Amino acid sequence: MRQASALALAAVLLAGFAVAQTFGDKPPVAMAPVGSVQVRAGASKDVTLDFRIGAEFHINSHTPKSPLLIPTVLRLTVPAQVIVADVKYPAGQDVSFAFSPDEKLSVYSGDFSIDAVLKTPANVPAGTYPVTGELRFQACDHSACYPPRAIPVQFQVRW
Amino acid sequence: MKRNALVFVVLFIAILAMLASGKYLDRVRKHGPIKLVGNVQGVPAPDFTLPSLDGSKVKLSDFRGKAVLLNFWATWCPPCKVEMPWFEDLQKQYGKDGLVVLGVAMDDSEPATIAKFASELGVNYPVLLGTDKVSDDYGDVQYLPTTFYIGRDGTIVDKMTGLLDRKEIEASVKKALNTDYRPASALQNEAKAEAKAVAVNKVVAMDATR
Repeated sequence: MRQASALALAAVLLAGFAVAQTFGDKPPVAMAPVGSVQVRAGASKDVTLDFRIGAEFHINSHTPKSPLLIPTVLRLTVPAQVIVADVKYPAGQDVSFAFSPDEKLSVYSGDFSIDAVLKTPANVPAGTYPVTGELRFQACDHSACYPPRAIPVQFQVRW
Repeated sequence: MKRNALVFVVLFIAILAMLASGKYLDRVRKHGPIKLVGNVQGVPAPDFTLPSLDGSKVKLSDFRGKAVLLNFWATWCPPCKVEMPWFEDLQKQYGKDGLVVLGVAMDDSEPATIAKFASELGVNYPVLLGTDKVSDDYGDVQYLPTTFYIGRDGTIVDKMTGLLDRKEIEASVKKALNTDYRPASALQNEAKAEAKAVAVNKVVAMDATR
């Protein structure tokens, strides 16, 4: 029994190690699950997507102050029955960091939300349709930066 | 029941191990194994040849005998901007002592954009266009800035990640400059001289015993 427990513990540790080796570090941004969004046919609907940035990190806003900085961008792929009418990004916070106290960067940190405005034509048959996409961002901490990354975005719309 | 659980756990591990090894082998097939992991002090710096912004090719091993500050950076990395003028100053200050500064841009931007960025920061040292292969050879450089300080003999004396204090950077530069380098020809001459001395000593010893 004790041997089996030790073996199981070793297995869990090994599995954790294997997962870490396989999938690398966790991205510094995570998205809250959305699930299924009810839309009225022929109307538009704001779908709020909530994201959380890990403590100590920040990412560029959608409108960074330099063209060299990589903006946060939401890209959605929708079925033919759905139109992405608009994507509303929050304003960035203007912040100075220790690495460059004289310069202000437009960033997101902590929690932020992006609204995707979806529309459906009036004559579309009722059903559930998948929406997929990605949030592309570039994160830094107080002393260094990570290459641009993307996390998947997915939810369903139904009417 | 317990046996079934054990079988399940073993199968689970096997699948994860296969996933991990598959990912590793895929990476090895594309770029070769990652060479620099863990403590890299004393490890030979992986050689590379990279294009420079001025169109020339730069080979790391051509600088054997010099101390090399090898800085990985990108235009989208604000902390990198802080260090680069310091590197330029250090190049001016210690260049006569044998310091060579090389910047490696890990950037998808056009070379002209990178050149403009470097020029605006007053950078005159060579800026090379980085590749995934070189990044992998140097331990998968993800965190920028990352700087390797390479001694005159081509081994790494320090690796620094993230923005540091200028004094810390200068200390690492001095460490790299305080390394020895004897070219292969000098080592061969020394070996010959040593062999000759041993032979002479043998003759003297034989004469003494007569």
